[in-house]
Amino acid sequence: MGTENIRNFCIIAHIDHGKSTLADRIMLLTGAVTPREFHEQLLDDMDIERERGITIKASSVTMNYNYNGKDYMLNLIDTPGHVDFSYEVSRSMAACEGALLLVDATQGVQAQTVANAYLAINSNHEIIPVINKIDLPAAQPDVVAQEIEHILGIPAGQCFKISGKTGEGVEELLHAVIEFLPTPEDKSSDPTAALIYDSHFDGYRGVICYVRLFAGSLKCGQKIKMMATGSTYLVTELGKFTPRMSKVDGLGAGEVGYLIANIKRLADVTIGDTITLENNPATHPLPGYKKPMQMVFSDFYPANNTQYEKMRQAFEKLALNDTSFSFFPQNSPALGFGFRCGFLGMLHMEIIQERLERENDIEIVQTAPTVSYEVVKKDGTVEIIDSPSQLPDTSHIEELREPFVKLEIICPTDCIGNIMKLSEARRCRLIRTDYISATRVLMEYKAPLAEIVYDFYDQLKGISSGYATMDYEFIGFEASNLVKIDFLINGKPVDALAMIIHRDNAEPRGRKMLIKLRKAIPRHQFEIPLQVAIGGKIIARETIKGFRKDVTAKLYGGDVTRKMKLLKKQKEGKKRMKSIGNVSVPQEAFMSILDNSEE
Amino acid sequence: MKHGNIIISQPTALYIHIPFCERKCFYCDFYSEPLKNHDVPKTLGAMLAEFDRYKFESPAKTIYIGGGSPSCLLAENLLHFIDEITRRTGKAKEFTIEVNPGQTNPALLNKLYAAGVNRLSIGAQSLCKKDIEFLRRDYQSATVTRLVNAAKKAGFDNISIDLIFAVPGSNLRRWKRGLQKAVSMNIDHISAYALSYEHGTALTKMRDAGLVKPVSENLDRQMYEAVIDMLAAAGFEHYEISNFAKPHKQCRHNLTYWNNEEYIGIGPSATSHLQRRRITNIRDIHDYCKAVEAGKAPVEECIESDERNFACETAVLGLRKICGLNLAKFHERTGFDALKMFAEPVKKYRQLNLIEVSNGRLKLTRAALPIANSILCDFAGAD
Ligand SMILES: Nc1nc2c(ncn2[C@@H]2O[C@H](COP(=O)(O)OP(=O)(O)O)[C@@H](O)[C@H]2O)c(=O)[nH]1
Ligand code: SF4
Repeated sequence: MGTENIRNFCIIAHIDHGKSTLADRIMLLTGAVTPREFHEQLLDDMDIERERGITIKASSVTMNYNYNGKDYMLNLIDTPGHVDFSYEVSRSMAACEGALLLVDATQGVQAQTVANAYLAINSNHEIIPVINKIDLPAAQPDVVAQEIEHILGIPAGQCFKISGKTGEGVEELLHAVIEFLPTPEDKSSDPTAALIYDSHFDGYRGVICYVRLFAGSLKCGQKIKMMATGSTYLVTELGKFTPRMSKVDGLGAGEVGYLIANIKRLADVTIGDTITLENNPATHPLPGYKKPMQMVFSDFYPANNTQYEKMRQAFEKLALNDTSFSFFPQNSPALGFGFRCGFLGMLHMEIIQERLERENDIEIVQTAPTVSYEVVKKDGTVEIIDSPSQLPDTSHIEELREPFVKLEIICPTDCIGNIMKLSEARRCRLIRTDYISATRVLMEYKAPLAEIVYDFYDQLKGISSGYATMDYEFIGFEASNLVKIDFLINGKPVDALAMIIHRDNAEPRGRKMLIKLRKAIPRHQFEIPLQVAIGGKIIARETIKGFRKDVTAKLYGGDVTRKMKLLKKQKEGKKRMKSIGNVSVPQEAFMSILDNSEE
Repeated sequence: MKHGNIIISQPTALYIHIPFCERKCFYCDFYSEPLKNHDVPKTLGAMLAEFDRYKFESPAKTIYIGGGSPSCLLAENLLHFIDEITRRTGKAKEFTIEVNPGQTNPALLNKLYAAGVNRLSIGAQSLCKKDIEFLRRDYQSATVTRLVNAAKKAGFDNISIDLIFAVPGSNLRRWKRGLQKAVSMNIDHISAYALSYEHGTALTKMRDAGLVKPVSENLDRQMYEAVIDMLAAAGFEHYEISNFAKPHKQCRHNLTYWNNEEYIGIGPSATSHLQRRRITNIRDIHDYCKAVEAGKAPVEECIESDERNFACETAVLGLRKICGLNLAKFHERTGFDALKMFAEPVKKYRQLNLIEVSNGRLKLTRAALPIANSILCDFAGAD
């Protein structure tokens, strides 16, 4: 069939604005799921299908829908809901022609929604604005429609007002999908070009590629070629999610589905790459999409050195299904063998950290997250470093540059004061303020990434009672007056505690952190001096006093079991610590120095 | 269970727990109940019945009657009880009984001595008025002096005094003065303990509520070091973290514990250590009696040590002795080479001069003693 009855679209929504509910409702309307299955939120569920013990992540749903006597194929492509993964949204968008911009009628437009909507507009997507949850008494669909008009320039009158929950307006919305969203270009006679917009590793079948065909067709048994890597494979299975995985003989231009071709490792597949046929290749790869950038780096060390190998294996496993996470062996004089890891953002980092500890039972010691810096050396060369320990000697440095982002915050107007205060403390420069409605404002900042990477979002949520949302986008590196702070424990600089920071903040921050460190490190049998040095010069000192008295006075026959238990507990407490010289430093210490909060 | 079917063929240390006190002291976590609420003869009878679960084929190595307060019993009850014990186990070379000041008289002391008791452990707690007041005990230091003199007269040549330091409100000078009084009594043995805040005691609750302010760690340490120095000067040998003895007057019974050897505990809440099992008796007096009367072992908990655990215990207990662990003996008893098993802490603490290895022994240095827990915890479990 031609492409004129195909519609490929995704839903852009802030978390909890009702994307899954709407997707379910659409699947129900098109008969893709039965009413019984309706409540299971299929599209959002990682474990969508257990077929021969295999768990597959649905990345799209193909639905059939009859409208005005004509059959249509609707492909709803999933977009991940997590705030940190807005880059994944661009993956999904690259695979379709249109998007539903879903906004909660009680919440209004959120920062990520705006960012994603711009993404869609910039990639020439047709957008249908949808205001959801109109069944709620607190719904203000007209105010939200005004916000959308104000920010995105889409006339308020074009907004669809629906309730995913009751189904109100959803049928009309589906009609609009067919009427307003563009049909895929018909390039069925061109050489095959399929975009890999996502992939997944499956223990039984190897790599499963999620593809969108832009030109030509794909059939089982064909020899395909990945245009970026040049490697070739034989297609063993093609299929669609309906939402169950169902095999098809071929995929035609404009269609969305999955492809299995005996690909062994996820690393062999580059998301955004173009699949073509070996014997009739396309001349140009598809444009792909903007690759995600690793923004945050942190060192992970096993608390117990014997777990290094286990940690490596765990990382390899994690990287199988997460190509945006990277890890490299690292050897720290203070902490021994570990890994330098790169993440998309803090949330991403936390997820990996948790999976490492929970699923693999590895106790980790983690260094404070940092961003990468550009070092312009005296000889004119530019080097990118992602750890303070990589910083060359100051005498070789001409200039230090740090990453800046465009930061957008949407918040109620009564939070403006607090937000100004917070952003000022974090060296953010206000670019513009835009009242998107009578009560809400969009503030755009230019911000140093290092300042917002760690706890900025938490603080923002705190001072706005949870109402403010933010999103950021990398702009570039710019020169900054940065210095390196070192912390010395018992006279020894600890590489894993070093950080790069703006000179104006260095001293107060250094002092504050020194106190945090003092509180985090338990007492030892001896006195431990703690010092902080800026640019090699000691500026402050704290002391952890040694134990003076710590002994069980009485230990006789009746006390043995109980006192041994207490001693074991005391020993357990030492376990999660890293030895730096003779000093045991708990894991919290490494994180505590970044904790900027006052107490 | 049949009568006397646990055969004790080796001389074994025997601990007998008298679960009564005149009234409960607010800092104490030993198991004891106010005397007046209980049927004492019945309880003592049950304890003898527990005794009869064992058959002693050789005399007890040592006997120690502690508590609680053995001396709060009626003299006739106590003496009868002691007779019954020695009838079963023979007279031990070291036979200790704990007595409280104010609870004994010369006549009783004579009778105890005649019954085979040859060591007195006096729960003096303190010899300074203010501390005694804080601890809410009802005697004076003179009471203790009189008791010591009467005991000597009765024939006792092995007298120990328990003292508590680091009592809130106290100071170094006061503590030293009290200690000097003890020294001048010309006794054979002193146990000196820092007041400890045990879980669940009234004292601990008062501290947590801010009603009692513990002495500073520094003062606590100074007081401890004062004991070590003063008693050394007075001819006492420091042989365990809290224990000091004149030559040949170390408490053999307590050394059994620190050598991690076997012992039998009789009475409510008493523990035994037999064949690497730690057996804890039922605490509650009624439940204890009921169990014994029903012919059952009055046991609440029995934990068997595995090899490593036994070795760890042996190390932790042995390191409490000032002479430390005999490495060859340790190996012989546990099958482990202590220097290998604990290689990491040994290395670390030798560097810090907190542990010493010499003459085939592993021991804490003097600097380590006041902070022994922070070191011993690394020996409490080996991984
Ligand atoms: N009242 C009402 N609640 C809705 C509607 N759509 C979604 N919800 C509720 O909003 C919450 C978030 O919905 P969900 O679909 O999981 O949001 P997602 O995070 O965007 O996928 C759930 O509790 C839904 O039941 C709606 O139209 N009306
Ligand atoms: S300190 Fe002695 S007298 Fe006081 S309650 Fe405890 S055992 Fe009884």
